[in-house]
Amino acid sequence: MANNMADAVIIGGGVHGCATAYYLAKAGCKRVVLLEKGYLASGGTGRSGAGIRHQFGTEINIRLSSAAVRMMENLEQELEYPRGISLMQKGYLIIAYTETQMEQFAKNVQLQREIDPENLTEILTTEEINRKLPFLNVEGVLGGTFNRRDGHANPFHVVQAFAEAAKRLGVDIRTFTEVVDIRTDQGKVTAVVTDKGEVIQTPVVVNCAGPHGAVVSKMAGVDIPLYPQRHQVAVTEPLEMFLPCMVLDFTHGTWFKQTPDGSLILGVGDPEHEVKEINQRCTWEFMKDVAEKMVFHIPRLKDVVVVRQWAGLYDMTPDSQAILGATPVEGFYLDVGWSGHGFQLGPIVGKIMAELISGQKPCIDVSCMSLERFEKGELIPEPNCV
Amino acid sequence: MRIEDHPILTYPRRRLVTFTFDGQEMTGYEGEPIAAALHDAGVRVLRESPKLHRPRGFYCAIGNCSSCLMRVDGKPNVRVCVEELKEGMTVETQKGKGDLLAEL
Repeated sequence: MANNMADAVIIGGGVHGCATAYYLAKAGCKRVVLLEKGYLASGGTGRSGAGIRHQFGTEINIRLSSAAVRMMENLEQELEYPRGISLMQKGYLIIAYTETQMEQFAKNVQLQREIDPENLTEILTTEEINRKLPFLNVEGVLGGTFNRRDGHANPFHVVQAFAEAAKRLGVDIRTFTEVVDIRTDQGKVTAVVTDKGEVIQTPVVVNCAGPHGAVVSKMAGVDIPLYPQRHQVAVTEPLEMFLPCMVLDFTHGTWFKQTPDGSLILGVGDPEHEVKEINQRCTWEFMKDVAEKMVFHIPRLKDVVVVRQWAGLYDMTPDSQAILGATPVEGFYLDVGWSGHGFQLGPIVGKIMAELISGQKPCIDVSCMSLERFEKGELIPEPNCV
Repeated sequence: MRIEDHPILTYPRRRLVTFTFDGQEMTGYEGEPIAAALHDAGVRVLRESPKLHRPRGFYCAIGNCSSCLMRVDGKPNVRVCVEELKEGMTVETQKGKGDLLAEL
């Protein structure tokens, strides 16, 4: 039987769980156990577009992402990961089709520059977008924003890098192990029970369970406003590199990128029609939708073959922002609800979670993301997400 | 080599057409898979692997495996095992993964 006393148990083996485990162990926490019901990165992390960007519209996300981009740039060295995280930092373009979007983008850029003097986000005209990506259909495009320090990475490698580094620091990672109960006593966390019948005694539990976050919270007696929402992705055959930057369009809900191996990864967010339940099945409707929208964006894609598709779940909250930090149950922490932009923030949030749990002052104040904000009505809606 | 007799399938012979493979003139039956005509003409290497540039030949023959991706009439990534041969086609060995921006 494995050692069933822990100083902290982390639930969820995505980027947030693995980063939290790593930084907790690095901070000196001796017995960290990470429980993952599938394999590492099998949930939202591995299914995400894995975009990395400074381009947000709320102060908290701008602060977090500025730090996160820098951490991503140094991640391979920090974690001594020889295989690389396939970081492609050749920019991220967000295109606008309406005046309202252009006004919002201008506000976002102003806020980004106020908060981070090093921020490189610039506003582009349609002509400038056309010069940058001549194959992109700019019909109806009014302009956009671009940051050349943004880009994307391989989410599996990022998780693997954190997991391997965490293991070297003694973290006990157990995959295919599902949490079925969290025990509390007098308002304090005492233990976690797994589907294998193990009872792991622990004073600290961190909920990094993504779309399963509400179910896991309920086990500890904490209700959180979080629900899953399916998003789907299509992948093409590899092509010679032609799309250096990631592209995002809020009007059609589309985003696309080309990985270093040449495959195009194409997504459409369709909250109006997509299921809001634990359901990761793919649909024909999506394939038709993504094909039409992508051929609209890049007409030359019309003969390109799609080789597979997948679906993943966002962990949505009422203001599309995470729920972070302590709860009324002592020792029970939340790092969930990232609503589709959580991958890139995994490194910095893992560090912040470790600081919070160790009783240190976090390097970025995340108190605005607390669970209490819903009761107090202090929502912080993020305008720049899909 | 060409399969003439098969216990189940029949091969109705249609008209002979000419096409080029890397500039070399060849003949095949109209409407047969391009790969069948190439195979009959003795072409065994259809592609090279993208990373290590090793030869790739006729393999799955059902449009699945990407071992026979070629440029046909300027279009990259054509699966010649399932693409029908037409008179005057230009079939070329593809270098790399298929260039979407190359002028057709």
